[in-house]
Amino acid sequence: MITGALIASEFISVGLALVLVYLFFKAYRFTRSIYVLGLLVGFSLLASSYIFLGLVLFYENNVTISELFLWLRLIAQGYGYGFIAFAYYFSGKSAKTGRYFLGLISLFSAISVILFFGALIAAPPFLELPSIGVADECLRVANLIFLGYIICDLVKHFESSRKAISGLIWTPLAFSLLWLVQYSLLIWGIDGSQTAFIFAHIARLASLTLFIYIYHSSGGVDSESRKA
Amino acid sequence: MKVGKRSRLQICFEVLRILSEESKNNKPSLTRVAHGANLPYDRFQKCLNKLIEVDMIRERNGEFFVTEKGFEYINEYEKINDFLRRMGLFP
Repeated sequence: MITGALIASEFISVGLALVLVYLFFKAYRFTRSIYVLGLLVGFSLLASSYIFLGLVLFYENNVTISELFLWLRLIAQGYGYGFIAFAYYFSGKSAKTGRYFLGLISLFSAISVILFFGALIAAPPFLELPSIGVADECLRVANLIFLGYIICDLVKHFESSRKAISGLIWTPLAFSLLWLVQYSLLIWGIDGSQTAFIFAHIARLASLTLFIYIYHSSGGVDSESRKA
Repeated sequence: MKVGKRSRLQICFEVLRILSEESKNNKPSLTRVAHGANLPYDRFQKCLNKLIEVDMIRERNGEFFVTEKGFEYINEYEKINDFLRRMGLFP
């Protein structure tokens, strides 16, 4: 029953994340902005992390497969938040630094993948990565840092924005909900609180829905009023 | 927007937007539209031909006007720009 509800929650999250990916793809096609590409890749990785978590639940009786999907989910989620945070970091810089965005991201990805798998293969036993649970908690802390940076950046950006843009509150709120998801799961990982676990799932669905709402509430002038 | 080079879709949007604004007040002048979109006339002509081909602009009695499809494109483009502004990506 609970597993069924969790799989359903993962499916809904995947659906919402894919809608977001489509919206960012559409935005990228129009703008060709490297920062939008960062968000597109970031949300695609988040969507894939939800798929992996769904697969973990689906194969929960097979330890080897479920652990593999858990690692994939950890990596996809970490990179997802990393890409989004980098996109926001570089969007505040000059156009020149933006050109190095993809290069830096690729370098960062390559180095961390090499370090990660290098550590798994070459590290002596006393340096080996601890259990997946501990790695999960470490990555959650990293995700909290990434999301914290994004929220601070958005608040600063909107404070300094001279033009009045309506509905500015929703984006920091949506990222704050994602921050709360990571925080609740961290609490759940430490003390096994079921309330935190359920809250994390609800907050995740709410944040993804909020991102979609931001798109739908964004306005162009409709065709009729433009023609008038 | 911190984008050095405009994409083809951005240029099409500029041409459509300026032509629709020009059409509101008077007979639109293509030179003014090209100037407003900051395009050399030859590139503007290519863009105009492309927009006519995809039925976003039509010509009637020597006058050019934006079609319903063109207005939908302008609307969608502005919606996406507003979305990205709200997401805090563009100033």
